[in-house]
Amino acid sequence: MSAHASDKFVYHEPGLQHQFEDMRQQEESVSIGMWMFLAQEIMFFGGLFTAYLVLRSRYPMAFAAGSNHLDAFLGGLNTLVLIVSSLTMALTVYYAQRSNRNMQVILIVLTMIFGGVFLGVKAIEYTDKYNHGLVPVTGLNKKVKEGAKAEHSGLTLPIETRANAAEAPGAAHAYVNPKGEFQWVEYDLIEKTFEQQKSDPDGNHLTASELIGYTSNGQIDHDKFRDKVRIFYWIYFVMTGLHALHMVIGLGLMAWLLWTAWKGYYSMEYYMPVEMSGLYWHFVDIVWIFLFPLLYLLGRHFGH
Amino acid sequence: MTIPMYLGVFAVLVVGTILTYVVATMDLDWIFPGANTLVALLIAFTKMTCVMLFFMHVYWSPKLIWLSVIASFFWLAIMFAFTMQDYFTRGSGVFTT
Repeated sequence: MSAHASDKFVYHEPGLQHQFEDMRQQEESVSIGMWMFLAQEIMFFGGLFTAYLVLRSRYPMAFAAGSNHLDAFLGGLNTLVLIVSSLTMALTVYYAQRSNRNMQVILIVLTMIFGGVFLGVKAIEYTDKYNHGLVPVTGLNKKVKEGAKAEHSGLTLPIETRANAAEAPGAAHAYVNPKGEFQWVEYDLIEKTFEQQKSDPDGNHLTASELIGYTSNGQIDHDKFRDKVRIFYWIYFVMTGLHALHMVIGLGLMAWLLWTAWKGYYSMEYYMPVEMSGLYWHFVDIVWIFLFPLLYLLGRHFGH
Repeated sequence: MTIPMYLGVFAVLVVGTILTYVVATMDLDWIFPGANTLVALLIAFTKMTCVMLFFMHVYWSPKLIWLSVIASFFWLAIMFAFTMQDYFTRGSGVFTT
């Protein structure tokens, strides 16, 4: 213990990495890094939202028709599930800031459970699309040979038989799909709107792109209209699929957080990993907040 | 942030979700065509703002974080605007062939 030691003594906070001056600088650097990552994620999803914007502005009726066939109740339920998981995540950060290990562990487990419920509901919806020939890739739908008994063989879930088999407008049509192609049977709304446009040519019932894109020889062409609905389902699967991938990555992050929180890594002095994982989780929630109305609710009010 | 504040933000988000679901079933085209989409987006923006300000703690963050958040939405707006000014001005417009 020489007298010089006291000259060199600097108070060192337990959570401070040696390259930073103090905790404030460290926390700001970590936050700005995470927000730069989220900014590029916004642009990444933004490209898909741009594709949605362009295609919906050209073919609004095909998008409305496709959207009406999605299950808005399950979509809304998933929105609520994600909001609850966001709350539990925010509370995880709250308890990490107060060095409460037990509440952190409980709330991370709850967040993971709600994330799992979200993915489960998503799987039910995708199965329903598979059963009804709404996957836009040929060969990836349920294959039913000509003359086979068409009533819901194959993958069937209890929630889906009740809601769709009886009520879906296409229920009268037998599902025959030997090659697993994209199927579409609802043309009432577009036929009706086309008649309105013909009797009222200045009425802006259909866009210029729709008048070219849905018709052949002055008639609604079912094949051409089906292709535009198929574009909607491409957008639906790519956007929700990418969002679901983010959920899976988020669950991976949560698993790591659970392990470290269990071992008591986080405290009042050092909780930034919890806060940053929270930012990612909330971002994924925000993406869904936009996907839900834009994909599930856009054509509801046509109410056919 | 206290726990009642977190629960308050949560309540706003739940009400917003239910509201957007209910409003979507009403036909608002009598106001102007596309009013449904506008209302749905307004609710979504409100919910997003709540999540960002309070759950993501932007409200208490340094100015640098505020700047990054606002800038990222500004870039997004540029992407939308420049893409759409092209698509909307092709040919003679959206509605007339």
